[in-house]
Amino acid sequence: MATGSARETLPVLNEGFANLLDAAEKVNILMVDDQPAKLLSYEVILAELGENLIKATSATEALDHLLKKDIAIVLTDVSMPDIDGFDLAEMIRQHPRFQKTAIIFISGVHLTDVDRVKGYRQGAVDYITVPVIPELLRAKVSVFAELHRKRRQLELLNRHLEQRVAERTEALRERADLLELATEAIVVTDLQGVIQFWNSGAEELYGWPREDVRGTNIHELLRTRAMQQSNNDWQNDLLTHGKWEGNLIHYARDGREVVVSSRQALKTESNGAPSTILEINRDITSRLQAEEALRKAERLAAMGRVAGIIAHEINNPLEAIINAFYLIRDHASLDEEARNYARLGEQELLRVAHIVRQTLSFYRESQQPTSVSVTEVLDSVLELQSRYFQVNQIQVQKLYRVDASVFGFPVELKQVFLNLIGNAAQAMPNGGRLRIRIHEHTDPVTQVRGVAVSICDTGSGISRDVGKRLFEPFFSTKAAKGTGLGLWISKGIVQKHEGNIQFRSFRTGSGCTTCFQVFLPAHSSADVMRASAGADDAANRSNGGAHA
Amino acid sequence: MPEVKATILCIDDEAVPLMLRKSVLEKYGFEVIPALSGAEALQRLESQPVDLVLTDLLMPAISGAELARCVKRRWPELPVILYSGVNEIPEDATCADLFLSKLEGPAAMCQKIEELLNRARAKSA
Repeated sequence: MATGSARETLPVLNEGFANLLDAAEKVNILMVDDQPAKLLSYEVILAELGENLIKATSATEALDHLLKKDIAIVLTDVSMPDIDGFDLAEMIRQHPRFQKTAIIFISGVHLTDVDRVKGYRQGAVDYITVPVIPELLRAKVSVFAELHRKRRQLELLNRHLEQRVAERTEALRERADLLELATEAIVVTDLQGVIQFWNSGAEELYGWPREDVRGTNIHELLRTRAMQQSNNDWQNDLLTHGKWEGNLIHYARDGREVVVSSRQALKTESNGAPSTILEINRDITSRLQAEEALRKAERLAAMGRVAGIIAHEINNPLEAIINAFYLIRDHASLDEEARNYARLGEQELLRVAHIVRQTLSFYRESQQPTSVSVTEVLDSVLELQSRYFQVNQIQVQKLYRVDASVFGFPVELKQVFLNLIGNAAQAMPNGGRLRIRIHEHTDPVTQVRGVAVSICDTGSGISRDVGKRLFEPFFSTKAAKGTGLGLWISKGIVQKHEGNIQFRSFRTGSGCTTCFQVFLPAHSSADVMRASAGADDAANRSNGGAHA
Repeated sequence: MPEVKATILCIDDEAVPLMLRKSVLEKYGFEVIPALSGAEALQRLESQPVDLVLTDLLMPAISGAELARCVKRRWPELPVILYSGVNEIPEDATCADLFLSKLEGPAAMCQKIEELLNRARAKSA
């Protein structure tokens, strides 16, 4: 079929367009006359047009062809038995598919007939009087054939265009979906920074919904500034070079500082003039924080190694000096005054020894868990902080109900309590009361028995919002002063000891009370056996190891 | 003064601290055999029985922990104390009976030695 093959040869728009214009596809011309001789003569006249000629000797036969094929022109005799030419035309016109089919009547023309012919509202209609003049018939038919061909090409082109439009629409929709899917903030602004597009990544990162930001200036909204001094001129760089990459500092809706890795490109109009700025920002705040924390941890580890070496190098001579003073102080050859000096010297040296043990031993940890006295750990932490308490007028109240031991890592547990007590102290810059309680406790969920240590302060309190994020890494209320890792690490350490850590903060008459409770399970004998040769050993080592 | 008289083998690679420690222990009432290395200590042990070994931890050649292992293999009942300036218990210190910091001070050192001696005597009795 002509139309069928035409449709199939329409791969892409440009090619298809050319094909359509070049194609000299044949159209179907249906000739209807009850006299075969006439049909034969029309066939001869029209043959040189090179179109498909179909003959029908009755209206019924003509309708049959019409239903099966795409007919461009119906050339029909008016006077035929049964159904005449006008009735046939009527029937053809009633069908929407044939409304544009050209109909040419061949008849002796009467005025009334012409009127009737003109009465048809749609489609091309013409008439030819008998005797038929071959040139005239050919001319009319060829005009209609050409018309039909052009229309058919247009229809095909239209269909093709519609399909292309649908495909493009789908592609655009997918692209828009992708923009929404991106976790990066994707923003389009004009050259002045007025926001035109704001994806859901941007909503997420900055906390501003797109309805609120469209039309506002991005730099005013986010208080943009360059991360490095050298990048201060980034807007000029962008305009000169057409693109820019670097780190920027933005402020989110809630006031949070966000560091983004930003990539920006200038979009130009077809005439080359810059029109909009496309900006893709990735949140690198936590990455930078993690890197910083890692640097700190590495520094601490290095300090730990140094501290270990120093501790050893100092401790050896220190022991000798202490021993020397110990031997002098009661020496028979000395008078009371000299002995007294020696005693004072020994006392002060013991203080030095104590400080060395408290501070320089802090970074190193035995790989094996040992029996740890919770009271001793807490006392050593309180001692480390005693100066701070004094200066800041913090009263310390100790309520030790039990002298409990747990099985674990003394340095890590010390870190937990140093952290909790340090936080409590820092929450009371204008003084307050710090209460440390140790008591026996049975975990209500697991029924495991153990020791609970609660650390309560009368400081600034913890809001519900802050409370929710308290144990998250990098969460800090101390801004630049804290790493935001303290409580997160503490929680990890407590969990490693199979314990748990909880907190409550509530308003009291005059202020706030905040309590952190650390639960540590009492050690089972199995643990002790596992870690050392015998119970004696463990007990002995805990005496000697309490300083660790 | 200790209730029990005892002989202590005291090892340290540094002579001055060793001498002073010896004096402190003697003042407390112990008898002290000094040794400047693990090898010397093992030699002494072969010729003369002692009640307790008090050894420095970090020494060249044979470390205190290695010495403790050697002693325990030969004389399992002989109490051994690792005495060190480092503040953490080393992982290989498990063979000794006690880990003691040099910064505990002379009084605490003597007292802990005596406690360990008492426990060892009670066990063998």
